[in-house]
Amino acid sequence: MHEMGIASSVIEAVRVEVTRHPGARASKVGLRLGEWAGVDVESLRFCLEVLVKGTELEPLALEIDFRPQGSELDIAYLELED
Amino acid sequence: MERVAIERKVLSENDRIAQALREQFARCGTLVLNCISSPGSGKTSLLERTLQGFSPETRVAVVTGDIQTDNDARRLARFGFPVRQITTAGACHLDARMVEKSLDGWDLGRLDLLLIENVGNLVCPTSYDLGEESKIVILSVTEGDDKPLKYPGAFAKSRLMVLNKIDLLPYVPFDMEAARRNARSIHPDIEIIETSCTAGNGLDSWRQWIAERMRLAAGSPSHA
Ligand SMILES: Nc1nc2c(ncn2[C@@H]2O[C@H](COP(=O)(O)OP(=O)(O)OP(=O)(O)O)[C@@H](O)[C@H]2O)c(=O)[nH]1
Ligand SMILES: [Mg+2]
Repeated sequence: MHEMGIASSVIEAVRVEVTRHPGARASKVGLRLGEWAGVDVESLRFCLEVLVKGTELEPLALEIDFRPQGSELDIAYLELED
Repeated sequence: MERVAIERKVLSENDRIAQALREQFARCGTLVLNCISSPGSGKTSLLERTLQGFSPETRVAVVTGDIQTDNDARRLARFGFPVRQITTAGACHLDARMVEKSLDGWDLGRLDLLLIENVGNLVCPTSYDLGEESKIVILSVTEGDDKPLKYPGAFAKSRLMVLNKIDLLPYVPFDMEAARRNARSIHPDIEIIETSCTAGNGLDSWRQWIAERMRLAAGSPSHA
């Protein structure tokens, strides 16, 4: 139920990172998500899609590295292209 | 294409505030317990019984979170200890900033125990560190003995599982041994206490558990 908040934090972090690379646009964000993080993967994907739609970030690919028995909830990397 | 490593926790802002709270609690020697369960498992009932057992000079306070209403705060305030309600207006969990704000004006140096009742939800609260010393998960026997397997996060992160409403065991097909086994399959060292808040079973063990943690918190090296 709080996936929208999580997704907003991810998008915010992506925007911050993009401003550090003038002229580049974000093409993909990589997350690390533990089974015990309390976040539903499908719901998080959906929320990110909704937040990206119609913005300068669209299209933004998403890769989730799902960790069984982990508690991670991290932004691992961002892919940029010129 | 260029890949830049970010390696940042999504909830880094929450974690930062929680860590500052944890340090403050440790400095003040305040034991903070974060109680998590589904709606209706008995968080408020357990806290009511806990407060009821304390002598008036006990330095305890409660912060209770709900999406709507201050019903729980009113139930808990009857025992004469300081109680504050956090109404999250839709959020399914407490976060560290809400807790920080709710403490405004309280002198932690004069509190030995702070009990936090999280919003009734077995999933979302587990993502948000509140600076607590321990999380406690409450599971009532009417919810089913498979819940530790279905909602592993809460059980993985809690030091203690309280199995509540054991007075109802004659009426529901709940296998206590399976519940314990399931919880331990997620978290082998989880401590377990069985209670009935209505009949009173197990409340002495629960109070002893808190007293022991309070002793440890008061005696911890970071206590100024
Ligand atoms: N039979 C029985 N009923 C209990 C027990 N503990 C709590 N209840 C009842 O369960 C219901 C819910 O208890 P609460 O203490 O309000 O539960 P809660 O977890 O605080 O609920 P929320 O704050 O709404 O998430 C109440 O009607 C309690 O009287 C118990 O040990 N046995
Ligand atoms: Mg309650």
